[in-house]
Amino acid sequence: MSYALTRLSTVDRMDVEAFSRAVGLHPELVRRLVALGLLEPQRDTSGALWFARGQLAAAARIQRLHTDLAVNYAALGLVIDLLDRVATLEAALRNATRRTGGRPWT
Amino acid sequence: MMAAGRDFYEVLGVSRTASQDEIQRAYRKLARTYHPDVNKDPGAEDTFKEISEAYDVLSDPELRRRYNAFGSDFRQVPPDVDPETWARARAGPGRRPSSEPTVDIDVDFEDLLGGMFGGRARRGWGPMPGADQEAELVLTVEDAYHGGRRPITLSGRDGPRTFEVNIPAGVTDGQRIRLAGQGGRGRDGGSAGDLYLVVRLDPHPRYRVEGRDIFVDLPLAPWEAALGTSVAIDTPGGEAKVKVPSGTSSGRRLRLRGRGLPNPRGQPGNLYAEARIAVPAKLSDDERELFERLAAVSTFDPRRRRR
Repeated sequence: MSYALTRLSTVDRMDVEAFSRAVGLHPELVRRLVALGLLEPQRDTSGALWFARGQLAAAARIQRLHTDLAVNYAALGLVIDLLDRVATLEAALRNATRRTGGRPWT
Repeated sequence: MMAAGRDFYEVLGVSRTASQDEIQRAYRKLARTYHPDVNKDPGAEDTFKEISEAYDVLSDPELRRRYNAFGSDFRQVPPDVDPETWARARAGPGRRPSSEPTVDIDVDFEDLLGGMFGGRARRGWGPMPGADQEAELVLTVEDAYHGGRRPITLSGRDGPRTFEVNIPAGVTDGQRIRLAGQGGRGRDGGSAGDLYLVVRLDPHPRYRVEGRDIFVDLPLAPWEAALGTSVAIDTPGGEAKVKVPSGTSSGRRLRLRGRGLPNPRGQPGNLYAEARIAVPAKLSDDERELFERLAAVSTFDPRRRRR
């Protein structure tokens, strides 16, 4: 039973080498991004890193922000957290204005 | 394959005599505003690309000099051509007379610098996937109820793009519809991002929507509300009958189970008809007489406090 579970989950995760190839980064840079908390892979009992599919998009965003806006890696964590918070707040705001809007009857 | 784009100085909003500092300041500010990871608007990516192209040229003194001399053709002009010769050659018959020193036009600067972002050398990075984008999709309540395929047009720098979007019946306000691979373009062979359409329900003159529940006003005459009746009302799914029980006051919600927005994964919402008692603005003599008799006979006091 646990065998089947393991098999399923490996389809959607990559080790450092496979992940580095997929995002076109040097494995050393990938490890550095992990150390900075910019990428969040899972660690198995032997200490090896496993990257979920969603981390591909995260790595792409890191590359774009770093090259286009010259944000250094240390500051990127802050930038990304703030962008995500803005996105969450904007979504909440959208829903809130919908709900209070439109009650013309007295 | 440069479109006859806007003037680079105009793009950055600086004068032709701007210093390198001014150019860099203008670029940084615009880049922060239009970067596809900061600005989810689908048009932002094209604007950002345009800004980057302009900056790539104007930030390099040699390229800037050539741009000033030759205008938008500067990439095709071989390195040692005198601007006046070039201008004369262009004005003559035929765009590129054979007397002109031959150039291999296929090798232009874009190829040399590489990448569709016409970029400063972005070494060390392989293919870069594109960013996700978001656009608002305004739907009427009826559209949201019925769903269906519909063409959506978004404007971009390369002209409008049209998608056939399959809108699931029962989408709700704020829900996101994902169009895989229709977002920001990747670079150097990277995959494109996704485009998310964020549904916004247009305010409707009669229907108010909360989640999947729909509220609609139900105007009633005083005698209908007091005696009870059955009324036909319009709903997004067609006409429905509401049974108004006797003794219904304003504000009472009469539920039509399952007549709200459908739910692709489970229970549909309900439709609530809210009783609103309306009286004639002008009474006929008969009506006035009957109301006066009712006033004299009735002991009902709507303002009496309940104990």
